[in-house]
Amino acid sequence: MNSFDPRINRVKLPALEEFKPLEPLQEWETYEVFHQKKRGDQHIHVGIVHAPDNDTALMFAKESFGRRRQTANLWVVKSRDVVPTDYDDQDIFETTPEKTYREASDYYCMDRIRKYQQEHGIVDRKELRRKEKEKASKK
Amino acid sequence: MSYTGQQKNTIKDLLFKMADDQLILGHRNSEWTGIGPFIEEDIAFSSIAQDKIGQSLALYNILHEQLGEADPDTLGFARSEKEFKCCHLVEYPIGEYEFSLMRNFLFAHADYLRFEMLADSSFEPLAKVAKKFRGEIKYHVMHSDNWIKKLGTANDESHSRMQSALNETFNLALGIFEPSEFENELIEMKIFAGEESLKSKWLETIKPILEEASLKLSDEKDWKPSFGGRKGSHTEYLQPLLNEMGEVFRIDAKAEW
Amino acid sequence: MYGNALIEKNKNGKNILEGEDPVKLAEFETRIDRGEKIEPKDWMPKEYRRQLIRMIEQHAHSEIIGALPEGTWITRAPGFRRKLGLMAKVQDEIGHGQLLYSAAETLGKSREEMLNDLITGKSKYSNVFNYPAVTWADTAIIAWLIDAGAIINQVANSKGSYGPYCRALDRICAEESFHLKYGHDNVVYLATGTPQQREMVQEALNRWWKPIMHFHGPPDKASQHTEILMRWKVKMATNDDMRQKFLDEYVPKVWDLGLIIPDPKLHKNETAGKWEYTEPDWEEFKRVINGDGPCNKERLGVRRMAQEKGRWVREALLKPNLKYSIPLA
Repeated sequence: MNSFDPRINRVKLPALEEFKPLEPLQEWETYEVFHQKKRGDQHIHVGIVHAPDNDTALMFAKESFGRRRQTANLWVVKSRDVVPTDYDDQDIFETTPEKTYREASDYYCMDRIRKYQQEHGIVDRKELRRKEKEKASKK
Repeated sequence: MSYTGQQKNTIKDLLFKMADDQLILGHRNSEWTGIGPFIEEDIAFSSIAQDKIGQSLALYNILHEQLGEADPDTLGFARSEKEFKCCHLVEYPIGEYEFSLMRNFLFAHADYLRFEMLADSSFEPLAKVAKKFRGEIKYHVMHSDNWIKKLGTANDESHSRMQSALNETFNLALGIFEPSEFENELIEMKIFAGEESLKSKWLETIKPILEEASLKLSDEKDWKPSFGGRKGSHTEYLQPLLNEMGEVFRIDAKAEW
Repeated sequence: MYGNALIEKNKNGKNILEGEDPVKLAEFETRIDRGEKIEPKDWMPKEYRRQLIRMIEQHAHSEIIGALPEGTWITRAPGFRRKLGLMAKVQDEIGHGQLLYSAAETLGKSREEMLNDLITGKSKYSNVFNYPAVTWADTAIIAWLIDAGAIINQVANSKGSYGPYCRALDRICAEESFHLKYGHDNVVYLATGTPQQREMVQEALNRWWKPIMHFHGPPDKASQHTEILMRWKVKMATNDDMRQKFLDEYVPKVWDLGLIIPDPKLHKNETAGKWEYTEPDWEEFKRVINGDGPCNKERLGVRRMAQEKGRWVREALLKPNLKYSIPLA
């Protein structure tokens, strides 16, 4: 073959008729890859590699996912060993955001404090310090 | 630290052969980019090739900045075939995948041990580079070991291919340790502990791995190291490689690309 | 482009929604309208799955084949900086192919099937890679302007509806920014260099302008088909929109270097806000994509060779009794 690629000119390209298609699983099985950027970070799922065994999977993961980004650590897990929830069951998580009694922002009682202070003539110390500061800055 | 002219020649000889080995091997490995046997492995081989070329660049930089030689591009792309000091092993074409894997295995171990020895070099720029690239070369060793062990033992075909590859490359690999005319000076100056010492460490390291891979080495009495490369006498493969590597550069060596 | 030009209409001429559960379909479309992503195990219409597999697969093939014209010049790159830069760029293309095959696999087509379809010619890839990189300057033009065209598509598609594809595209877009800079840097050095370098890059531009104009695919005919695919956020913009965006961003940059684009009609109609140009030859586009280009046979021959060379490795490490498992995301 007369190619513009000197590498190709050095080899013999097999004819289409000689081609034996890949059989199932000849590209080996897949591993899910988890990547940790630096110590202290979570491992984040970043994708998959095809590999014949664990060591090779780690090596391929280093190349595919550690080659262009800062990496401290990698995990690989066979895709068939990962146990996911069902998206059809996403509804079991639906009311989670509504349970605001578990959120700090759900707790507000300043109004109640003010009302009580006013009714019982209690001086609010924060208010007092703010007024003193104001006086001092005016002088 | 200041060196005499003769001392500088000693150091340059060492650096040139190391840098040339890495440039030529990196170049050969880069020929697999895009045509590797398996997608993820294609990516891995390309990284290894880039690492090697990056390492050669660091060494050419020392030659340029500390020892008065020309700039790295000129050293890499414009020297004549006789001026190159690489060993025969790295010059050979990529061949089948087993050849390239075995070549990398034999070379990576030698490189890793060499860099380990150089981490204590009295020539500071070299010691620095040796420490810096330790991690990269460690990975090259891991990569090679993985394939050698697995393919040496997987099935009849893979075993026989790996054994043939070992038979083809071993004498070439012994050429890595061709003694230079400066061995004694290098040892006296505490720059490098010498090729003999490196070779014994190398043999000690690769023998158990080859055994684990069920691969056999011939008897020592039958070994025929492929020497000549360190003195500028190369195989028929280097000149065409250099012609190709310099093809665009030589259109106009003064141009900026 | 990878998929935009090559989205096929349902061959039976049937309504592409025929047989789909209307309730599930409505939920599916509402989810997309809300801007939510569809994940691999979600219910999806058959046509959605089919078009996405085709699109992502073709994109993956384009990356793998795309590595070949530039890969031609790796062993001849001038100087360390270019040698390392080109190696890293081409390596990234293989990496992108890997990411994209992974995304397509989540939809149920195995990588083996996809690679077989590439080699037999059943699946297509971006036409532009069926042309040869004749000189070093060709690689500079490809790295700059072809990658630029691709980025415009990728940024648009990364806002599509299918989760795994969007995630893959985000990762790809981040790496492409280096490709674009590398390519542009390369063209600039040539265009501002010696007269010989300038001539080389002008000639390369002359050679590649036609494939560049073909890149985003033929003008879309308005059809129910296109309309549904855009509603499902499979197709994110028309081919012409993408082409206009490309011309808008990059033609001025080419002219800034004093390079001539070999289309005397090319100019922006400021009133209409659109670029006008000589209509590309879409018959040639069709011929080349169906196998009759200068490099089609070579490209597929090289992939066959790569696969053959690796056969013994793959077979040696194959585990018996392994069952297929779809990757997750």
